Amino acid sequence: MATFSNISSDLIWEVTRGQSSSLVKRKGAGGVQFSRDPLNLKNQYRRKYEGMVSDKAIGVQAGENGGVILLTKKAGKANFPASQIQTSTFSSSRSTRKTYSAIVNSTAKKGYRPDLLKDAVARSSAIRKSQKDVKESKPKKARGAKARAEA
Amino acid sequence: MSRPTVTVISPGAESKETLAIPAVFKSPIRPDIVHSVHTGMNKNRRQPYAVSEKAGHQTSAESWGTGRAVARIPRVSGGGTHRAGQAAFGNMCRSGRMFAPTKVWRKWHQKINLNQKRFATASALAASSSAALLMARGHNVSTVPEVPLVVSSTAFADAAIAKTSAAIALLKAVGAGADVEKVKTSRKLRAGKGKMRGRRYRQRRGPLVVYNPDEDGKELVLAFRNIPGVETSSVYSLNLLQLAPGGHLGRFIVWTSSAFSALDKIYGSTTEPSALKKDFLLPSAIMKQPDLSQLINSQEVQKVLRPVKGGAISKRTVVQKKNPLKNFQVQLRLNPYAAAFSKNKLGQAKVECKKGKAAETFNTLLHEN
Repeated sequence: MATFSNISSDLIWEVTRGQSSSLVKRKGAGGVQFSRDPLNLKNQYRRKYEGMVSDKAIGVQAGENGGVILLTKKAGKANFPASQIQTSTFSSSRSTRKTYSAIVNSTAKKGYRPDLLKDAVARSSAIRKSQKDVKESKPKKARGAKARAEA
Repeated sequence: MSRPTVTVISPGAESKETLAIPAVFKSPIRPDIVHSVHTGMNKNRRQPYAVSEKAGHQTSAESWGTGRAVARIPRVSGGGTHRAGQAAFGNMCRSGRMFAPTKVWRKWHQKINLNQKRFATASALAASSSAALLMARGHNVSTVPEVPLVVSSTAFADAAIAKTSAAIALLKAVGAGADVEKVKTSRKLRAGKGKMRGRRYRQRRGPLVVYNPDEDGKELVLAFRNIPGVETSSVYSLNLLQLAPGGHLGRFIVWTSSAFSALDKIYGSTTEPSALKKDFLLPSAIMKQPDLSQLINSQEVQKVLRPVKGGAISKRTVVQKKNPLKNFQVQLRLNPYAAAFSKNKLGQAKVECKKGKAAETFNTLLHEN
């Protein structure tokens, strides 16, 4: 991974699992631990999902004008923070299914974090769903003689 | 394998100059040692404090003894004032002394073994070369081209960085601007009494600029000192309190190239003693390979493992049970012969009877008494 043989992602995790800038601890709900890491697909502070720690990681974020942005970490660039993250944008005009398959084909299907396949699709799906306009609810039907008379 | 190198960044000019990474960056990363040394070192700058020796005892109170239906605590003598007859001295009394009054001869300072201090410093330096640890500490390094970040000493030559504006421009040019900006916005009024005790504000720590005073000069200290959160340190006197603030590894360090190349002289290596520190060899890692997946997948480990049972057949959990008598595919899985059996239509074939009819004497033989 790194140019330094004394550092590995396992070690980084052991050092940072107790305290990290991305860790959000809350006392409610049995002491949940969430993560602020953009490369974390489930926002859970766990070894599998914490992208800051791993050599390879996938992140999915909402695009500015709809659509989603896929972030991946270049494995050999651990010491080059500015050029470490690869982004690709999938605009909202592309169908959701094509977006998911593009995300999966460029990452998990190529052997890049295949364990995150479902989570990447689920997150992009949730983002795309949240970008839809809220459907207006039907006007209420007047119930009862009084209400009908008023209407 | 050639030694890993780091690019020397010189703002304004494109340069492909590289430096070999000093051996100190290969020291083991030990948060436990760094934490305990930091705890001790942090105590060594304390100033003694105590309450007044006389506090709570500036009265001639005496106990009234038993028989007056009041507690036997010393009471202020005399009359003509409310204070007379009030309890005194005890820690539970109003205007009494505190419990166990603090003394100036408390044990304020901690002795830390010199080798441990050096180990912790080396460990903190090694941790500063990991971008992930910098980010975990909270540094904003997403715009930094490379860690460790080494800036060419030519940028500091001839007191070029003597003004704060030049210092800020330099930090921005090498990609450290975001971290400086983060510190600036983080300044908050401290909660509690610390405000009146010389600790009015609290703020994040920004980059630490490490320079070589012999070659870079000392003007840059004046230039950097008014930038919030930015600290400077001579490479010859690195301090763990700056390298691992709060005992947490991963301070963002901006090295000048002359300071960076001086590190090998200062710390030596695991085999060659340091030139400047007496009796010091860099600590070497107990675990040579810290990557667990590489350990597990190594030939040495895989060789002694029991081969996988079942191989490609994986156990199917939580699936609907299929009737093998009705579902031919399931039957095939259970009975590999079923394919041939059905292909040859053995189920429909007539049972062949090889033996002919019984001999004619058979019946008589059977019924013979």
